[in-house]
This record gives sequence, C-alpha cells and structure tokens, in this order.
Amino acid sequence: MSAQLLQPAFTDPVLEAQRSFRAALKAFAGPGLIQTLHATPSLEGLAPATYALCLALLDVDTPLWLAPSFDTPLIRANLAFHCGCPLTANREDARFALLTAEDLLDLSGFDPGNDRYPDQSCTLLVQLPSLDGGAGLAWRGPGIETEHGVALPMAEGFWREREQRNEFPRGLDLLFAAGQDLIGLPRSTRIAQERV
Amino acid sequence: MEILMNNLAPHAERQHWIGVLARARRSELQPHEAALRDVEYQLIRAPEIGMTLVRGRMGGNGAPFNVGEMSVTRCVVRLADGRTGYSYLAGRDKVHAELAALADAHLQGTQQRHWLDAVITPLAKAQAERRAQKEADTAATKVEFFTLVRGEN
Repeated sequence: MSAQLLQPAFTDPVLEAQRSFRAALKAFAGPGLIQTLHATPSLEGLAPATYALCLALLDVDTPLWLAPSFDTPLIRANLAFHCGCPLTANREDARFALLTAEDLLDLSGFDPGNDRYPDQSCTLLVQLPSLDGGAGLAWRGPGIETEHGVALPMAEGFWREREQRNEFPRGLDLLFAAGQDLIGLPRSTRIAQERV
Repeated sequence: MEILMNNLAPHAERQHWIGVLARARRSELQPHEAALRDVEYQLIRAPEIGMTLVRGRMGGNGAPFNVGEMSVTRCVVRLADGRTGYSYLAGRDKVHAELAALADAHLQGTQQRHWLDAVITPLAKAQAERRAQKEADTAATKVEFFTLVRGEN
C-alpha cells in the first residue's frame, strides 16, 4: 500500500508554501542569484529545495513529468498525496518536469509554449549536487544589472539544447536546486563564456 | 465474484465507520481521547480547514448545479506500525478531525473488534436515535396538500 510510504510535508503548509513560491519568484526575477529556503522537509531522493518547489508549485492542474531517477514509489506516493498532481509519461503534456543534471542533454518534447501563450511552457525543476563547481559563465539579461558569474556543474551540451529551444517569446524556464538553495534561469537570460 | 466481494466488503465497512466518526459529536469522541492518543503516531497531514463545493441534482436526477461551499476539516495520521488513518468532516473542528483519523487508524488494526464495540457501535446507535427523533419531529409538522375538485367539468 502506498499509504505506508507517506511522510509529513510542510509543518505550516500555508506560510511555507508562500515562502517557497516567493523564493521561486525571486530566483526568476534575479537570474543567477542564490535563494535559500530554510527548514524545509526533504524526501529520500529529493533535496529540500526541490521538494519545497514541488509542494509550492504543483497541484491538480499541473501534470508533472518525472525523470526515471526520481520515479520511485516513495516520491510518487508523496507527490500524489501532498500535491495531488497527475504524473505524465509524455513530455508534451507536462507543465512541470523534475530532472537531474544528466537529463539536461535531451530537452526534446518539453512544451516551449506558443507565440500567443508563451507562459504555457513547461517549467523544468532541475536537481543538482551543488550550485557551484562547473564552468564559469557570465549571465546577462533582464533582472541582471551588468552580469552575474554562475558556475553550475552541468555538461556543456545543455546550453546548446537550451539555445535550440529558445525562440523568444517561446522557451523553457529552469529552476536549479541543490540542498536548500535554488537558482532561476528564465528564457530571457543570455549566456556568455566568462573571460578568465 | 469472490474476489470482488473480498475487496468490496472491507471498503464498505471502512466507509461505514469513517461516516460514523465524521457525523459524531466531538463530545462523544472525547471520552475515548486518552485511549485513542495512547499510541505513537505522527501527523502526515495536520488537521486543516478548507472549503469544498457541494453539488446537487434537483430531485436526485436533474442536471447538476452548485449548491454552495461548505467548510471541511481533514486530517491524516500514521501510527508507528505504518497504519494510516484518514478523516474528512464537515465544519471546523480540528480536534475532532484528529481524533476521527486516529480512530480510523486503530480500526484497521488487530484490535478492530474492540474499537468497533467500544466506539463505532455506540456512536452509530446514538446517531440513529437522533435521526429517528428528528424524523419524528419533522413528521409531526407534515402537511398534506390536496386540491378539491373544481367546478369546471
């Protein structure tokens, strides 16, 4: 029975969901700046920040695509119970997707929205081991005064994948989470190789 | 058929006791509070108050329409051995919701007979009496309408 797997989520559902939502909002408003969520629950396989984003953002109207490494009975049961979100095997139907760094090399199928409703795109929640330690890149664009140096530990191929699916106003927005921290990467952010 | 019966029967039984617990008064559950809480448990979903839309059909078979919203309190607990108890009840009584969820969890265990006899049967009996009383009171005010034959052939 899946009931055996259930675990408590937010201790104060309203306030903590609002805090997490606010953190996601700020992460997109200031791309590349780290937002920290304090005292959030975690689930085996999901970092506290990732789980908090799921609890704050998902509900019955947001089909979720789970990467194979997250597709465990425990995660399925708890997301179904606390968020009530339908899980989908089709990337095209997903409003949100839960990915790891390895899944970033193939972003095909995720809905980039359309010219009339670019907001209907799929938002990708990406769990990383850390938000630091990769190749240093300079992020520029809306919400960034000059530039932010960010060094997310991801394969180079991701940036090409993202570039291919980014035809403004269509595109994919990403939230990177590690531990209790998160960084937002909206479609409007431009990336340049950092000069050493 | 046998499989169906086996699956259906426990559900029907659980539906019955969850309904009885939801319709009980808090004052009726409180005498059992010490016994219900005398177990290690955690709140999977702490008692929370929300709203739900009630829909109805005119005469039970017309087109569905929205009657209105009502407040609902729900709670889910899990005992140390993994049994989970659920409760959904009308109103805003969080203590009642927690006690009802605990009772549901206890009723799924090996002591089911004991809990049925101690809690559910007396509660169901009290509810049946209240209902019968209400129906008797209402029946006394019943008015039969009839139309006299009018003189137009």
